[in-house]
Amino acid sequence: MNAADFRLDDMRRAIREADPQLSRFDPLPRIICLDDFDRGMCGWTQLVGNYEDTLDAMLPGYAQHSHAMLSTLPNWDFGSHGGVDGSYALKIATRPKKGAQNVAIKRLTFRKPGPIRIEAYFTFKPEATELALSETDIRSFGFLYDLQVTDQHGAGGNRVMPHLRFLNALDGQHVQKWQFKRKTTPIKPIGTSGKTITHYHLAESDWEDLPGGEQRLCYNEIPTKVNWHYFRFDFDLATMQATGFQVNDRVFDMGGFEPIRIPAMKNLWCMLNLAFFAETDTDKRAFAYLDSVCLSGDF
Amino acid sequence: MLPENLTAVVARNEIWTGESATEPYEAGWAREAVIFVRALKEPKGALPMARIEISADGMHWCREGSEFALPAQKDGVTFQRLGHFGNFVRVAASLPSGTEIVVLVTLHLKA
Repeated sequence: MNAADFRLDDMRRAIREADPQLSRFDPLPRIICLDDFDRGMCGWTQLVGNYEDTLDAMLPGYAQHSHAMLSTLPNWDFGSHGGVDGSYALKIATRPKKGAQNVAIKRLTFRKPGPIRIEAYFTFKPEATELALSETDIRSFGFLYDLQVTDQHGAGGNRVMPHLRFLNALDGQHVQKWQFKRKTTPIKPIGTSGKTITHYHLAESDWEDLPGGEQRLCYNEIPTKVNWHYFRFDFDLATMQATGFQVNDRVFDMGGFEPIRIPAMKNLWCMLNLAFFAETDTDKRAFAYLDSVCLSGDF
Repeated sequence: MLPENLTAVVARNEIWTGESATEPYEAGWAREAVIFVRALKEPKGALPMARIEISADGMHWCREGSEFALPAQKDGVTFQRLGHFGNFVRVAASLPSGTEIVVLVTLHLKA
């Protein structure tokens, strides 16, 4: 970094640290979006599955999805919890059936294949249908990118889907570890036009443990209180490799991480989709909440 | 900034039989709602009225008082206007044996 770059970086950092909205993030030089759900949905929407001719063609994994909500984290016993610095958070709620999932997604494209960083403040809790701690009722909270190389890439380009989930519990066991996956389900054609395919990348199969990825998060002491957690995931769109991952005070080694890689698809060039998801491990709704999300890049 | 305005698809291609309802939806930020129900397939039997339900916690539900017809044919659409509903809202219906409807339910919410 030369002296001029250093001064620019210093000035940028000083300005951001003086801004309460940005000070709790540590973004790369260019902020692509800063989504504070006190301002509304901020472009986060439902992940609908692919279909052709009939919605019946949609895979069941996608058919279960519904729209995220703007939530004050209201609780029957003490009322609205609120967010980190405002009233609202984005709420991703599953249906009340073991293994049910739901996803909130934001769909962008990238300008430059280089480093990107996603940061978020998140928490999760099951629906408080019992007067019990319920710490093993949520299966997971997770994040994924859905990326594809530029149309200028040439042969051999990929669609790349880095997945990370905090496996909180599985079949009642309080597992508490981060996982990734490098496989999706087989590609399945949809309809008769030859234009649409589908696969279910959030299937329960093929999750692998992130080496050193065990972490005990603050869950609190009753089924309604929550604490917010910091999430940061760094990825390089040039090499399509993960370069960093941090949750709260823990920085994880991503040397063992691999994303899902499948051949590039004909309509997805430069795709930059980001998504958060929740899974329930019991017949109880799982709620994942995002207070705010910051996506930044080095370009 | 313009006030928040959201179209939320809360039930898509769901088969309603017996006691049926959309998933709980939090909309406390919204001052008003219009709820549309579209039949995606030909309904079966004489359908009952649908009703709006509200809740303090998303778990215990009360009838809000609004009732509206479910669409009687494929691609038929019905709707209900709603105001002053607190936070959690859902659409529910009690379908007698032998009746069935496949629904697309959308909430249109405005701050």
